[in-house]
Amino acid sequence: MKFVKKTDMIIIGVILVFAVLFMVLYRTKFSDQPAVAEIYYYSDLVETVKLDKKVDKIFSIPQNSHVVFHLYEDGTLRFEESDCPDKVCINTGKIGMVGQSAACLPNGIVVKIVQKSGRTEDTVDIIVGK
Amino acid sequence: MLPPYFKEVIRVKKRILAVILMIVTMCVNLSACSFNKEKRYEAEFLLLFDTVTQIVGYANTKEDFSEYAQVVYDNLKEYHELYDIYNDYDGKNNIKTINDNAGIKPVKVDKKIIDLLLFSKDAYELTDGKVNVAFGAVLEVWHQYREEGTENPDKAALPPMDILEEKAMHTDINKVIINEADSTVYLEDPEMLLDVGAIAKGYATEMVSNIAYEQGYKNGMISVGGNVRTTGSKGNNKQDWKVGIQNPDLEDENNQLYILSFKDDSLVTSGVYQRYYTVDGKQYHHIIDPVTLMPSDYFTAVTILCKNSGMADALSTAVFNMPYEKGKEFVESLPDTEALWVFKDGEEKSSSGFQDYIAK
Repeated sequence: MKFVKKTDMIIIGVILVFAVLFMVLYRTKFSDQPAVAEIYYYSDLVETVKLDKKVDKIFSIPQNSHVVFHLYEDGTLRFEESDCPDKVCINTGKIGMVGQSAACLPNGIVVKIVQKSGRTEDTVDIIVGK
Repeated sequence: MLPPYFKEVIRVKKRILAVILMIVTMCVNLSACSFNKEKRYEAEFLLLFDTVTQIVGYANTKEDFSEYAQVVYDNLKEYHELYDIYNDYDGKNNIKTINDNAGIKPVKVDKKIIDLLLFSKDAYELTDGKVNVAFGAVLEVWHQYREEGTENPDKAALPPMDILEEKAMHTDINKVIINEADSTVYLEDPEMLLDVGAIAKGYATEMVSNIAYEQGYKNGMISVGGNVRTTGSKGNNKQDWKVGIQNPDLEDENNQLYILSFKDDSLVTSGVYQRYYTVDGKQYHHIIDPVTLMPSDYFTAVTILCKNSGMADALSTAVFNMPYEKGKEFVESLPDTEALWVFKDGEEKSSSGFQDYIAK
């Protein structure tokens, strides 16, 4: 008689298989969710833009057609045009990394790159610079 | 066949194995639960300090976080109104009121203004005048030319040096008379103007962060336009905050420089890539050297890391206005203060302890 019976081995095996399965499921479902750009108009979230679609497009939000965004194939986004006086939004350039943001204050628009789920403790909280 | 004694041992071992398996399973479940206990929340405000305020907190419920965000907003708004140099507020004397009464009379103001100006005078002394809140007369001229030049790029021009030099005659911080007993401020020189733009945001961030802490919000992050102040740590595992420093070179593929990891510290970057205008193909940014009266030309960005957000803000401007050797010597002389310099050709230099903060 052995220390571990054959049925024990099967049970342990099944548990391990389930463990790996759930781990893979968890990782793919939650952890690898790509970042998205959230566009806020005076603190209301008005649009969420997926950054991983490899599309190049020009768009605006319904609240303000004078502010134009440019989404690039490489998953970055920028303020392309704005009728604001300081152009700080345009000068901010492309953003696409979690923690980055750009804003057009005169028009009340903020764009934030966020990771909705699957944040780890190493995910950056904010990226600064002006 | 094994003797009965051994059978018993085996049975016990098997039971132990089963218990261990159960414990492992429970641990996994428990950690999954505790992960969900404190959730991460974020909030943004516009319209304060002419910039975006971002708040991050970890709380059990959305309501808990909203209360924290409200405390931050309410207090920040109070500081914003008091430190405003462009707008009036009903029944409230602010920095603009002091400016409007330059050479006329002392203005009775809130203690928050007195404290800011005393702090600013200390920063002036400490930095040998490289950050000066009494520099408003010169900054106002640059501000006006920058706005006009941005609106009409074809007509963009530099302020004439004779005007700048004339304005620079009215930037003596010793003529900012603070009377603590009466809580008044008087600008002796009628031509002088306060511009607290290099200090006020960071100082207010520090004060509001402390107020929130005293009210029981022990962990959080407040960023007022890139003046980042962290309190405590984040999440259930008491992790460090991770703050990225933007690469000032917008064309660079890797548009992030460093990710720093810290608790209870502040980080401020002074840089040139957002607020500037272009004259004859050359960019002119908004950090004006008090000696040359022209945009400071040593770096594209300077980052300061230290405890106090107000000091970080003041130092980032002051060090931006110093040649590297002088700035390095200055930063090394300060306790618990680190800096990162980014030169115009992309070269980077940092203070001796800076590397220790880089996230592994």
